[in-house]
Amino acid sequence: MSAPILEIRDLSVGYQTERGYLQALRNVSFTVPEGKIIGIVGESGCGKSTLISSIIRLLAPNASIGNGAILFKGQDLLGLSPGDMRFLRGNEISMVFQDPMTSLNPVLTIGRQMADVQHRSGASYIGKRSRSLMMLERVGIPDPASQLGRYPHHLSGGMRQRVAIAMALMTEPSLLIADEPTTALDATLEVQIIARLRELQRDFGCSILFISHHLGVIAELCDEVIVMYAGEVCESGSTREVFLGPRHPYTQRLLECDPARIPQRTRHLPVIEGSLPDLVDVPRGCIFRERCAHSMARCATERPGLSAGLHLSACHLPDLAS
Amino acid sequence: MSIVPAVIRSTFTALRKDPLGMAGFVLVSLMLFLTVFAAWLAPHDPLEVDVANRLSGPSLEHWLGTDQLGRDVLSRVLYGGQVALKVALVAISAAMAAGLVLGMMAGFGPRWLDRILVISFDTVRSFPTIMFALAIIALTGPSLNTVIGVIIITSIPVYARVVRTQTQALRERDFILAERAMGASTARILRDHVMPNIAAPLFILASMDVPAVVGMEAGLSFLGLGVNPPTPSWGSILNDGYSYLRNSPWPIIAGGLPLIAVTLGFTFFGESLRDIFDPKLRGKDQGGK
Amino acid sequence: MSALLAVRDLKVRYPLPGGFPFRAGGKPSWVDVVHGVSLDIERGETVAIVGESGSGKTTLAMALCGLAPVLGGEVRLDGRVLERDRNHRLNPDRKRVALMFQDPVGSLSPRMTVRRLLAEPMRIHGVDSRDPGREASRLLSLVGLGEEFSNRYPHQLSGGQARRVGVARALALSPDLLIADEPTAGLDVSIQGEVLNLLSRLQQDMGLGILIITHNLNVVRHVADRMAIMYLGRFVEQGDSQQVFSRPRHPYTAALLSANPSPDPDAQLDRVQLVGEIPSLLHRPPGCEFHTRCPRARERCTASFPGLTGAAGEQAFNCHFPMD
Repeated sequence: MSAPILEIRDLSVGYQTERGYLQALRNVSFTVPEGKIIGIVGESGCGKSTLISSIIRLLAPNASIGNGAILFKGQDLLGLSPGDMRFLRGNEISMVFQDPMTSLNPVLTIGRQMADVQHRSGASYIGKRSRSLMMLERVGIPDPASQLGRYPHHLSGGMRQRVAIAMALMTEPSLLIADEPTTALDATLEVQIIARLRELQRDFGCSILFISHHLGVIAELCDEVIVMYAGEVCESGSTREVFLGPRHPYTQRLLECDPARIPQRTRHLPVIEGSLPDLVDVPRGCIFRERCAHSMARCATERPGLSAGLHLSACHLPDLAS
Repeated sequence: MSIVPAVIRSTFTALRKDPLGMAGFVLVSLMLFLTVFAAWLAPHDPLEVDVANRLSGPSLEHWLGTDQLGRDVLSRVLYGGQVALKVALVAISAAMAAGLVLGMMAGFGPRWLDRILVISFDTVRSFPTIMFALAIIALTGPSLNTVIGVIIITSIPVYARVVRTQTQALRERDFILAERAMGASTARILRDHVMPNIAAPLFILASMDVPAVVGMEAGLSFLGLGVNPPTPSWGSILNDGYSYLRNSPWPIIAGGLPLIAVTLGFTFFGESLRDIFDPKLRGKDQGGK
Repeated sequence: MSALLAVRDLKVRYPLPGGFPFRAGGKPSWVDVVHGVSLDIERGETVAIVGESGSGKTTLAMALCGLAPVLGGEVRLDGRVLERDRNHRLNPDRKRVALMFQDPVGSLSPRMTVRRLLAEPMRIHGVDSRDPGREASRLLSLVGLGEEFSNRYPHQLSGGQARRVGVARALALSPDLLIADEPTAGLDVSIQGEVLNLLSRLQQDMGLGILIITHNLNVVRHVADRMAIMYLGRFVEQGDSQQVFSRPRHPYTAALLSANPSPDPDAQLDRVQLVGEIPSLLHRPPGCEFHTRCPRARERCTASFPGLTGAAGEQAFNCHFPMD
């Protein structure tokens, strides 16, 4: 078993706000094995943006990292100098963002931007161009040669996202982080893009960390999944196990709420009652307790740790597998 | 209007963190205080002539000395501030009001109206202000009201263009569409939804404009085209001092200092206002997701 | 016995900047975003319009509210023709149709409190409320929000809360028809149900007609009585939603239905593959406009536009070679 590409160990990150210290991530731990696609499922406020910003070390100025380690290929990213980190970014660790319009420079042509990404390769202009063309073909862009001269606003949303993926994979990174890359796209494009991603991952062999709140996409694309809630990991395991036999009450409720999973037509859709806890004033015990139908006395005082094994769940209840 | 107390509170919080802005605010407040209460603070009558003591340096009786007619410079400076204040207040308010209306019409109305207005703005702005002033004053004779009028006319296009751009940006926003969907008239939309959202940049512009306007008045008065003697104005004090520079440098210093103070004060304060208004009313509490 | 809303052959055309109306061989100077749409909505019924981005569904919604330049066709509310007023004089029919926008926070005027926002519709239409504060509280309670929300500003609301304020505002003048543009966009799965359940309840209580514009088919399956699938400004299929889901006739419908990423890891996926992307509205394909992406396209599809199969009230579609 090869070493994991990315290992998050007990990571805690918070923000200094007017109201106080907001604990966005609390003791988050998980690993991304080599050559696997790991999905992070979470809704607003779960901490996924903070998590990604922490990994690529581009946090807001009012953020502070409490404790923990982010090990990339064994090396703690938190201890790296800004220069070393910059070397990794775009080279070993690449990102694809949700909105391709803001991640692509609107005043530069596609060709120019794709060449810029290759600035470390040392190749000639022709070499870079041919590599760009090759990548555009790989992501399924028709007539790549003519696209190189166009600007981002000439392309549709789906095409732009493909270009963004091509740029991210061009340097053959070990880890690709995709932050809700298909959320803004129609379902028809979404399935095309995740099929492409699967193919590309097989060919390039990189690991992918795929963040989304879209359950269907996670189920189709990811080998393993991590479920986050309000800054903590509440469940993780293989996609199949987590989706077919969720252990944590939040995961269960979340899956129940997905209208795609409800076989019978109903006018009354399920919801998770209550709202997110205040992360400036983090409640004692289990973070999900207020909204959990199964909470016990113990849940109010003792914070559950992740159980052992391959299918992990942070819950006091022994086994809710229905 | 209930957003005003919140704005004032957050302005002060932000000012405390910005030393330059705070300094500007203090300076501006000081100048305003001295000017408004000139009648009580001035030690002498600014028009009182005392030729025997002309062009004397600072003394206990005359803190800033006397000018070529023996008038107390300090008192003249204080009263001169009133002229500057009057010009700035009247000219900027009028230009802002007219610019607001015209700018909203240009930004929100039909294309042809926009084109006409923009051409008018550009035409007026293409005249160098001083030449424009000279031309008008040659026709009507020097007077403070003429100066105010000229400043208003040449300032309107500046405000109008800013308002126009802001209005255009707002025009396609969802909340404006929502109001139109509900059947709101254009007048209502402009009054209730466009104006409050563009007011902030306008006030900042006005604040940064004060030094320019004061300077313009001073310049025109310096050229003898503004206030009529013996009314004191910072520009006329500078003019008098300039002629008698070899006898006493004090009138020049006294006339120049308030101009510097006003410029620095309003500029620093205006800049910090910009920082205050921009992210504040648009952002939520900072925090990760 | 007329429908609450009856749309016949509605067309929306936007002028493009630059260019005279008749430029031989040059760039077109207008674009037809809605190209002939007919639809009925009854009281108490929920109809969904689905389609990809660029299908024209949002423009259709805006046209029904007088926010888009209507080129032709007819819209009747309870049998009476809806006035197409290009001036902004108050039209009493505006009160009967309410629109909820896609961006819940952005559709609320940023410097107004919720109380003031809820009072807007009444102020606009001169409906004098003796106590706007109480009206606001009443509307807030209708949508399940407490009184403390009256004093908040839009940027202080979460996505779900802002959406509910949008619903409250839409209800202020007791409309007959509510048009919701992507009511679940941007909402977490765990709270999507809140908005949809709210709309259902209000529909039951008030007898509203609801038109939902969305590209989220999972939601449509549960909440819509009837649905219409839109492509390049036209409906390609419409009918009872359960029927359409179980037996789609138009290949595009089948493709959309199968293009849903499934949250079941064991699902056997039999996708109808679509080729390429939506063509530009400026260069409409000849014949059946879908033929460029249709896996079943044949020669006839390039040559002639398919007529309507199926009468009003049944499942209707435009296709030469429908699925069975």
